[in-house]
Amino acid sequence: MPFQIRFAKIDLTEREVSIEDFPEEILTKYLGGRGMNMYLLAKRFRPRMDSLGPENPLIFGTGFLTGCLNLGSRMNISAISPETGYLGDANMGGDFGAELRYAGLSHLVIVGKSKDPVYLWIRNGDVQIRDARHLWGLDTVETQRAIRRELGEARVQVACIGLAGENMVKFAGIRTGLKSTAARTGLGAVMGSKHLKAVAVRGTEDLHIENPQGLLSYYKELIKGLMERKWIQALGRLGTPLMIALGNTAGFLAVRNHQWTSVGEAGSGLVAENLDRYSTGMVACWSCPVHCRHRLKIRGEKDKEVYEEGPEYASVGSMGWKIGNLDLESILQVVELCNRYGLDAISTGSYIAWVMELYQNGIIDEKTIGFPLEWGDSKSIKRIIHIIAQREGFGDILADGYFARGRLPPEAEQFLLQVKNLPMEMTDERLTKSFALGMATASRGACHMRSRPSLDILRLPSSLLEKLYGGEVDPDFTSYRGKGRMIWWHEILYAVCDSLGVCRFMTVFSSPNAPQYKEFNDLIYLSSGRRISEEDLKTVGERICTLERRMLALWGMDRKQDSLPFRYFEPVPEGPAKGHQIDLAGFNKMLDEYYELHGWDENGRPTQEGVKRLEIPL
Amino acid sequence: MRIEVQKEKCTGCHLCEMVCALFHLQVINPSKSAIRILKDDLNTDTHTPLVCRQCKKMKCLENEGGDETSEVTKFIWNKQRAKDCPFDGLTVFEETAYHCDLCSGEPQCVSVCTSGAITIKTQISRRRKKHEI
Repeated sequence: MPFQIRFAKIDLTEREVSIEDFPEEILTKYLGGRGMNMYLLAKRFRPRMDSLGPENPLIFGTGFLTGCLNLGSRMNISAISPETGYLGDANMGGDFGAELRYAGLSHLVIVGKSKDPVYLWIRNGDVQIRDARHLWGLDTVETQRAIRRELGEARVQVACIGLAGENMVKFAGIRTGLKSTAARTGLGAVMGSKHLKAVAVRGTEDLHIENPQGLLSYYKELIKGLMERKWIQALGRLGTPLMIALGNTAGFLAVRNHQWTSVGEAGSGLVAENLDRYSTGMVACWSCPVHCRHRLKIRGEKDKEVYEEGPEYASVGSMGWKIGNLDLESILQVVELCNRYGLDAISTGSYIAWVMELYQNGIIDEKTIGFPLEWGDSKSIKRIIHIIAQREGFGDILADGYFARGRLPPEAEQFLLQVKNLPMEMTDERLTKSFALGMATASRGACHMRSRPSLDILRLPSSLLEKLYGGEVDPDFTSYRGKGRMIWWHEILYAVCDSLGVCRFMTVFSSPNAPQYKEFNDLIYLSSGRRISEEDLKTVGERICTLERRMLALWGMDRKQDSLPFRYFEPVPEGPAKGHQIDLAGFNKMLDEYYELHGWDENGRPTQEGVKRLEIPL
Repeated sequence: MRIEVQKEKCTGCHLCEMVCALFHLQVINPSKSAIRILKDDLNTDTHTPLVCRQCKKMKCLENEGGDETSEVTKFIWNKQRAKDCPFDGLTVFEETAYHCDLCSGEPQCVSVCTSGAITIKTQISRRRKKHEI
């Protein structure tokens, strides 16, 4: 059978490996990537499962079209999150996913815990558990180099943890290459808890394509059209930091832990064009025509020249304005430090912002931290990252993320702005109401990637919006009208993208005419021969959202947790977004609309009827 | 006609490798592509496309004699020839070498290279360039 999708079950306690095919029925229901991960997670789901215990399944899942001629080649890693205690899921670019596909596997389900550190070596469907004692303690780049040397193959792809994952820092990520990270929700700590240092993969198997000539012609036309778009051209030239200037002018940056939303003139050094000083070219993930990352040459630790990739808008913000740091060079250095340790730069920045505000307000002092922690002090920022990753002194407290609040004065908790135990990010969503709803409802906690309708800021004509979303949506991004619909629509589309391995930036994210269901269907049909209707594809997205929601409900979460931190309900004190805030009545209206479209009850819980219709396995 | 490489423009997306195998062998397999991207992704992050340069004097066939014109149109080659190429321009995988046959005049890899790292260079344009200089 062409276009095989199969998974390996790996038990690290028993040191057992088995390989299984997915039944066709499950494939058409979940496709792959995040969708299939959620199915595999749901099968093992218990609300009281210890996220750092051996039973927590760590699931690697490549998109259905990852490794094919696709719009990117992304994958998801999922488990119960140590950072939040709830749903853990993170999406990752780079080359690892495609390599896994060429090795004849699409998913890995890793359970148990090894006594000593190990790594997995997967070559064309053969999975070996190998000793990694000599790799324990290496940073994420050294680990990848050492494994390639050991295996003697330059094309081996490695996903690994650094010191942060080994020390079970609750916001440690899993990294591949110089930059790509399954960063959010602390999955690196799950890997560390299993004593799994890395997964190395090399695949040289044929990926059978149903209609080779048809796919080739179609794909060439598809990317030709894509590359003619201005947004794509700008992204390929400047990378995601192109959003910084707009965010600063409009006022939706989370400055100093959301105390302000713009840095005004002081932010001029952070504009995307300034990265040209460090850039030596652009880099792409596997199978991506856009190439949105810079290849950077910077001065790293001990003034040593190092190469880096990126940085993303999110990392610049998290290591930048969120912690009062407006020096681009310093930002690049601390992002690199996070990458080496294998820390999620977004959460790391958010927790640092939290303690900086505690320090500012005198809730904790120099004695507690061990050194002064002023906004934007790049030396202290580096220092605190070191002690977090190494779990030294105060860093050991902060390494627990949300759970650190129990070890701090009681008044500390309110300054940790979070949703579902995951801290807010580098943006402040008081101005853009749809963005705010997305942050409140994202299934993995505060996250912009689950549903952000970036095009809301474009003020597109209402007729165009109505056609796109199938209902009325206000073109004004400060309005609440129709924004529940907008978030519902994007959330479903992005769930489908994550199941196919498609990158957000090449679908309807910032451009209304970008590829979406029709193009996805064509790619699925030409690649795999499976004819799925547009409606069926939307149902896959609905199913994934409702399944995630069902897990949240089993954890006892409902409407109460679909909320925003207190600061969002207070006006922005100054700057371009001055006076903007979230109005509770407007917010509730969006929430009602969003629940209704998803077919959930007024408390945001999936209904019996919905669970039955979508055949949710929980 | 040949494929000209500007390695500093290569983004390492590997689409060229994917379409090469797909066009010639009807499968996606980057290991079976006549163009290959040499990666230095953990150091300088530079990617270098390697592909047949369509040399006039074919060192790769020197030891064989015979008809060169028919060989240049073939995709599947004897792997011995890779050793004789001074530019490392042939991909070797298992027992086969993969040689760039220029896809009968329409190189597929060039059509998916959005960064312009690989372009088609015809002899006419080469001459023209010389003239301009």
